[in-house]
Amino acid sequence: MNYGKPNTHRGQEKRGKDSDPLGANSEIGRKLRQYYDDLITEDIPDRFSDLLNQLEQKSTEPAGNKD
Amino acid sequence: MSVYPGFRDDLLATVPSLRAFAVSLSKNADRADDLVQEALVKAWDKQASYQPGTNLKAWLFTILRNEFYSQMRKRKREVEDSDGAITGRLSVHPAQEGSVDLKDFRRALEQLPEDQREAIILIGASGFSYEEAAEICDCAVGTIKSRVSRARTRLQEILGITGENDFGPDAISAQITNSVFTA
Repeated sequence: MNYGKPNTHRGQEKRGKDSDPLGANSEIGRKLRQYYDDLITEDIPDRFSDLLNQLEQKSTEPAGNKD
Repeated sequence: MSVYPGFRDDLLATVPSLRAFAVSLSKNADRADDLVQEALVKAWDKQASYQPGTNLKAWLFTILRNEFYSQMRKRKREVEDSDGAITGRLSVHPAQEGSVDLKDFRRALEQLPEDQREAIILIGASGFSYEEAAEICDCAVGTIKSRVSRARTRLQEILGITGENDFGPDAISAQITNSVFTA
């Protein structure tokens, strides 16, 4: 074994990272999730729930009721 | 009438992911919200084609992605028509500015070609399997794999991250591309 250093770094797994190139060991993977989480936790504008309410309302009205 | 009770709520619940994907694709927050809106309207109109119990998020991502590419083709035509050249460099909304580190990453991501960017987002962040991503992008699983791999290598190069992959053919292509970049 040439791996003389104590394994204090976060969960360095043996060699299994080929199967998950963007996994916990990957810096790109971590940055990617950080980037995405940042986007996903933004407040959602009201326009989307308003829109869905409108769509739902429209589809319960009698057909041919256009504006 | 909805395809099933709660369809509206399920659509609303996917909006955060849809927006994140839309921002990643379009690189523009305002445009992303328009894309999400279009996708929701389309999804509502064609809800009969959704099979309850199947992956709603994947279904919506597919709709949004199709909308993005059809808008992009349209815009490209319009831009070419109006001034004869593609100038379509979209600026990033100020609200998207984050920490320096994240900003660098975002810039790097934006340099990727669309197909690589969407592949690495779907696999590395949106939580889809390779099979699901292939279905969303309407291509083979192997194609997604190679796009993810190229995207990752390219991001490492742009961000100067080494040591994750410093063996095999990637190391060689990294050297070549790096020398091109610094030239």
